[in-house]
Amino acid sequence: MERFRLSKGGVLTKPKSDVLQGTLALLVLKTLAQGPMHGYGITLHIQRVSSDVLRVEEGSLYPALHRMEQLRWIGAEWRMSENNRRARYYRLTAAGRKQLAEEEKNWARLTEAVAAVLECA
Amino acid sequence: MSWLSRLKSLLQVQRLEHDLDDELLSHIEMRTEDNLAVGMSPEEARYDAQRRFGNLTLLKEETRAVDIVGWMEATGQNLRYAGRMLRRNPGFTLAAILTLALGIGANVAIFTLVEAVLLRPLPFPHPDQLVRVYDDIRSSNTHDVGMSVPELWDLRDRSEVFQDISVIFPADANITGGERPERVEFLGTNANYFTMLGVHAQLGRTYAPGDALPGFSEAVVISDAYWHRGFGGDPNVIGKKIRVDGDLYTITGVLPPDFHHPGRTLTADVDLWATTGFAAPPFPAPPVRAVRLLPGVMGRLKPGFSLAQAQAQLDNFVAQLTRQFPDEYPLAAGWSIRLVPAQQDLVGNVRTELLVLFAAVASVLLIACVNLANLLLARSASRQREMAIRLAVGAGRSRLITQLLTESILLATISGVAALITVVWLKSSLLHLAPANLPRLSEVGFSLGVLLFAFLMSILTGVVFGLAPALQAARTSHRSALSEGTRGAGTSNHQLKFSRILVASEIAVSLVLLIGAGLLVRSFEHVLEVQPGFEPHHLVTAKIWLAVPNDPKGDPYFTPEKRAAFHQEILRRISALPGVEQAAIGNGTSLPIDFNHFQSPFIIENRPLDVERTPVAEIATVSAAYFSVLKTPLLHGRVFTDSDDTKGQQVALIDETLAHRYWPSSDSDAIGQRLQLAVARRGQTSAAQNPWVRIVGVVGNIKSDGLDAATPPHIYFPVFQTPPYSAVVFLRATGEPGVLSEALRTEIQHVDPGIPVFSVRTMETVVSTFLAERRFALELLGIFAGVALLLACIGIYGIMAYTFSRRINEIGIRIAMGAQRTDIFRMAFEEGAVTIALGVGAGLLGALALTGFLESMLFSVKATDPLTFGTIAALLAAVTLLACLLPAHRATHVDPLIALRHE
Repeated sequence: MERFRLSKGGVLTKPKSDVLQGTLALLVLKTLAQGPMHGYGITLHIQRVSSDVLRVEEGSLYPALHRMEQLRWIGAEWRMSENNRRARYYRLTAAGRKQLAEEEKNWARLTEAVAAVLECA
Repeated sequence: MSWLSRLKSLLQVQRLEHDLDDELLSHIEMRTEDNLAVGMSPEEARYDAQRRFGNLTLLKEETRAVDIVGWMEATGQNLRYAGRMLRRNPGFTLAAILTLALGIGANVAIFTLVEAVLLRPLPFPHPDQLVRVYDDIRSSNTHDVGMSVPELWDLRDRSEVFQDISVIFPADANITGGERPERVEFLGTNANYFTMLGVHAQLGRTYAPGDALPGFSEAVVISDAYWHRGFGGDPNVIGKKIRVDGDLYTITGVLPPDFHHPGRTLTADVDLWATTGFAAPPFPAPPVRAVRLLPGVMGRLKPGFSLAQAQAQLDNFVAQLTRQFPDEYPLAAGWSIRLVPAQQDLVGNVRTELLVLFAAVASVLLIACVNLANLLLARSASRQREMAIRLAVGAGRSRLITQLLTESILLATISGVAALITVVWLKSSLLHLAPANLPRLSEVGFSLGVLLFAFLMSILTGVVFGLAPALQAARTSHRSALSEGTRGAGTSNHQLKFSRILVASEIAVSLVLLIGAGLLVRSFEHVLEVQPGFEPHHLVTAKIWLAVPNDPKGDPYFTPEKRAAFHQEILRRISALPGVEQAAIGNGTSLPIDFNHFQSPFIIENRPLDVERTPVAEIATVSAAYFSVLKTPLLHGRVFTDSDDTKGQQVALIDETLAHRYWPSSDSDAIGQRLQLAVARRGQTSAAQNPWVRIVGVVGNIKSDGLDAATPPHIYFPVFQTPPYSAVVFLRATGEPGVLSEALRTEIQHVDPGIPVFSVRTMETVVSTFLAERRFALELLGIFAGVALLLACIGIYGIMAYTFSRRINEIGIRIAMGAQRTDIFRMAFEEGAVTIALGVGAGLLGALALTGFLESMLFSVKATDPLTFGTIAALLAAVTLLACLLPAHRATHVDPLIALRHE
């Protein structure tokens, strides 16, 4: 079965950090797994939870969101935010949930493999 | 990637842009607020928020570009996957490509004809302004009676309808001075002919204003073909002198190779053009209004005139001229002028045929697509697991449909390319199949329109046969397919019924095509059975042309006596040739079947003149032995004898049709009566100067205008009383007619070496040339109908075989429970029979509705002829029932043990 990788082929903008680019989808999906959120909220969440280590560039976020929306991993609708401001909220779909599980599995395998290589000093 | 959402996003681009703008704006606002809350100044806060986005425009572009890139990626994947699928089933793929390539190729071939002949406008500037101008006489119901020179001048100068008008006078011409005299196809026109058409010479020039003389100008223009044929493509041909009909002319120009005179000619494409004002010798000078000298006129309408407007204005002008010249245009005669667009004039009579053939070949492709669709539907059952899995892991249904459609479109496109290559490669062989007298045949080629058609046809084909199976496959409920242990048992009854309806529709379409072909076959048979009125076998004909030089003093055959002497000498010599039983000679209109006629109204002595319906007859001049050579019976009186020459009393023969019509009580009453032609001839000023001729005999009818036209009445004059310049020689051969041509040519050239002999043909050739067009349509339609039938049989065989393979379990159970073989056979057969009955019924209805379009191509057969309908329907039913038999038979031989174990 075909899989669509966000990081392959330079679909998005030139990545500052390749690892971050490839995992952007993973991070966004995980963020949304906790509940619907708008784009700004997503950047804040990731920044906060990673203790400011990971900063999502706005320039990378929106193309990625658009792409994931078209892949039907996430859905979107306009809602009123906390401060009574109109914002576009994204939520995870069933397909997105499956994709998230897949990406989490892959990430685990990747980190294991890298750790194994590093330990073998 | 969902094509639906891409489509949606394309359609909602505007909304999407606003959405994105709003979203980014709201993001910036929110960060600005947060920044303010942290303590930044308003300017800093906003600046920081905006800076994080970088170049906003670039960002928006990139976001939108995700759409296109995504689409390209998805399509690329679709194509690669489709390619893999096709490679995995080479047998099916190859068979499908062959079938489709054949179907698409045939469509492209016919469309090439349709495009070049019917669709493409004539290759001149503003071709819709070009018209043919015809004179008609309503009272005698004669059309195209010719125009006089003064009338032409009036149309040019006073009618305000034309910006340009020119005579087109096709003729034979003698070229002498070479090894042997050659006859070329000649066209005489006014000096503005080429400027009217907007044509320039490729070498030299066409006519200059100085060439507009009352008589022939010295300048002649030759065609590219004649330039190569007669002058070897010599670049120094400009300024060369040639002797045409005894006069010396100078070649001033060579026309481009793709130029063809947009009208009918005598035999072939025009070789040589000359220009004259038709107001000096060899034409009568000064021109007389009563003499309809000019056989054809073409004009270019003033810009802004529609055809209807021009016709209306012309009608007014005609009324004006009728009032002004009551003697030449008697009111009761009902003279009128008719405008016909030049393109319609040229191709009008083949339009129906070509469109019918196009519809037929498209139907055949449709049937092929239906067969493929059925095949794919059957195979979709085996791909259900694949589809189910893909659906389960989250592919959208529209994604699946797109994927499957990509497969079929890819298949069809490959076939289309193969078809196009084959048609281009086989172009010349295919062109040979077309009848040689098809108008604009030389313009047939591969234009952009044809390529576009091939491309669109391929895509359409792919969609047509791929859509139903794609929709069907994607409709699978994944749960049932995955949980089934059995292989592909998920074929629903619904799907089978749909397949059967498809097959029934195939049968219906085949029936319509077959009935159409059947009607054409019967028409053709009827045409062949028509008695031509003469015996065409062992009959050889040849044409000779006595040159007409411009100066009568230079014409050795100017007097009728000289011409008569020439014809008599020819006759004497060729009658004496070995292998010739008898010979005769006649004028140009005496050649039967070949469409070439001269009609004239006439008056019968002592009969009241019915000006509303003037009697009209076709006129020919023939020698004494003509009827005996042609083996046309003499019914009453006598034929011409040698004493009926210029000095004797003026006599004539009439045919049966004329005799019946005007002496209904008894043909022989006509003998001894006198008649007079009612049209002024050349050299006269009015019809009253025509001699009264006595009828001396009645002969049988001859089909002079082709086998499928009604026989007009004929009047024959003795050739030695009115000897023509253009003559046809007839030989009745004792043995093989073909060997006589050279001997004939030699003998005639012994009499005068400057006379070319051309169009030497057996009468059988003349007849078959006449039938060529009809035969072409018949053969092609027959082939298409045959292929359609074959495909329909394959279709029904396929669907029956498939149905039974699905129901093998059921059949096994039935047999095990005691059903007889005959019961199984009956059950199997009935299913097929119902489909066939449906198809035949629908086909009969369709044929009843559609065969009306064939009306103009039929001869002596009604478009709803019950015999044809019944026979062909029965034939089709029989053949398709036979195709059912084999699977039905196989069903009865199912071994219940094997069947029950069948998974």
